[in-house]
Amino acid sequence: MRENRELFIEMITFAVYFFLIAPIVVVVLASFSPASFLKFPPDRISFRWYANVFNANGFVEAFVNSLALAVTATFIDAVIGVASAICVVRYSFKGKTFLTNFLISPLFLPTITFGFVLLQIFSMTSSVSIFERLLIGHAVVILPYIIRNVTASLTGFEWSLEEAAMSLGATPLQSFFKVTLPLIKPGVVAGCLFAFLYSLDEVTLAAFLTGPTFVTLPMRILTYMEFSFDPTLAAISTLLILISLICVAALEKLVGFDVFLK
Amino acid sequence: MKLKRQPWMLALPATLLLLFFFMAPLVFAFVKNLFEAGLVNYIKFFSDGFYRGILITTILVALKVTLFSLLLGYPAAYYIARTRSRIRNLLLIATIFPFLVSALVRAYGWMVILGDSGLLNQVLIALHVTHQPLKILYTVNGVIIGLVHLLTPYMILSIASVLQNIDGNLEMASQSLGANRWQTFTRILFPLSLPGVITGCILVFTLSMTSFVTPKLLGGSTVKLMSTMVYQEVQVTFNWPMASAISFIMLFTIIAILLISNLLTKTTMSKLEGAGESA
Repeated sequence: MRENRELFIEMITFAVYFFLIAPIVVVVLASFSPASFLKFPPDRISFRWYANVFNANGFVEAFVNSLALAVTATFIDAVIGVASAICVVRYSFKGKTFLTNFLISPLFLPTITFGFVLLQIFSMTSSVSIFERLLIGHAVVILPYIIRNVTASLTGFEWSLEEAAMSLGATPLQSFFKVTLPLIKPGVVAGCLFAFLYSLDEVTLAAFLTGPTFVTLPMRILTYMEFSFDPTLAAISTLLILISLICVAALEKLVGFDVFLK
Repeated sequence: MKLKRQPWMLALPATLLLLFFFMAPLVFAFVKNLFEAGLVNYIKFFSDGFYRGILITTILVALKVTLFSLLLGYPAAYYIARTRSRIRNLLLIATIFPFLVSALVRAYGWMVILGDSGLLNQVLIALHVTHQPLKILYTVNGVIIGLVHLLTPYMILSIASVLQNIDGNLEMASQSLGANRWQTFTRILFPLSLPGVITGCILVFTLSMTSFVTPKLLGGSTVKLMSTMVYQEVQVTFNWPMASAISFIMLFTIIAILLISNLLTKTTMSKLEGAGESA
């Protein structure tokens, strides 16, 4: 009896994970398909769609745009996010809970609402470039990811270590960079990875804010889809999956996955 | 030393960013729209049959997605929380990994699988299950499948984090006192895991109500939800006042749900604590 039930739950669990992983595997398999329509199983392997990604089509330019955007937004938020996480974890002051909730509030806002609001604001001015518009939008929506991860890694931090460093002659900045930062690095890196990937893959804000002069990679994929449905899309998707895989490996190495169950 | 006296200064840059580029634009756009169009579009959204249909579809889709991801997520979460095998870490990776894969890529994967000549229909026709390809892509069902796929990991993590802190001995105690498996589940395990279930359901419901990419790609132009309608009113029909009304109705709905859930979790927690004390 007992064995049967365990087996039953085990089978459902594996079915659920099959469901979760299948579309991702299908995309990877489709990218190696020789024919322009998708057929399973493919009879042989072809790299022509990968060549297509790098030839014209504007995928590479769009990727460079997205990368510049994601790196800039993540860097800005890493600086202001770590500072505010330290503020709300280390010090106690009036309105602390309110401030914490305020800082992660973009997490709960429908991105589509925010995207349209930004479009309305920016349509009243022409002095803000598309890159800057997207940067502002991304900096807002990815901030909670960094603050949450850093806050988690700071909870229970021994602040006396910083005081010890300072009593030994370090300046506050030195004690932060040489003592605190190395110790909370996993949380900072995890937060930055999430924020970076969110920005790199972001579509909703981009759907409202991109224009002919600056196209992000997800928007390029979306517009390509409207005209063609060939496996070039699978190839570019596989490359994006590869980036995600690298980030997952980094996360596992740095923080382990049990943090997500806390 | 100056920093110590004014700790809030550390949070100043982030606060200013959110005030200027988040709160101010939201309030400004909301007020501007109220001044220009009044409540006409808000009233129209709830009274006009076309828009009410969109509201009902949106809520039904979100409810179905929540139910299915609970049904799929609970057993998976239970397995992760209870198993001692080394596969646990692998399953955790498989839960986190889809989070980090673009929603666009995942929706594309479903398009490849669910299309008229897609993988699923190729298999079904080859097995003679059906002769006509099943129409799933560009229907509500396609959107539901894509959203369940997108959001089940949130459900798994919310429930597993609560389940793993529930002592497994409670289940054994319940059974040694004569309860069967089902009674143990409905009377002991499920009530104790309720905080995780509620958190997961709220997360999945709100995210499926507001997600945009998945319904846009898997629903095509036939499935009309609030999020895709905002986009359409902005970019296609250029009815910005209506788009604004819909997007703020979405925002207020989310805020209302979060406030209610906050109360709900608090009462469940206090009930559970109360039960613990009396036991």
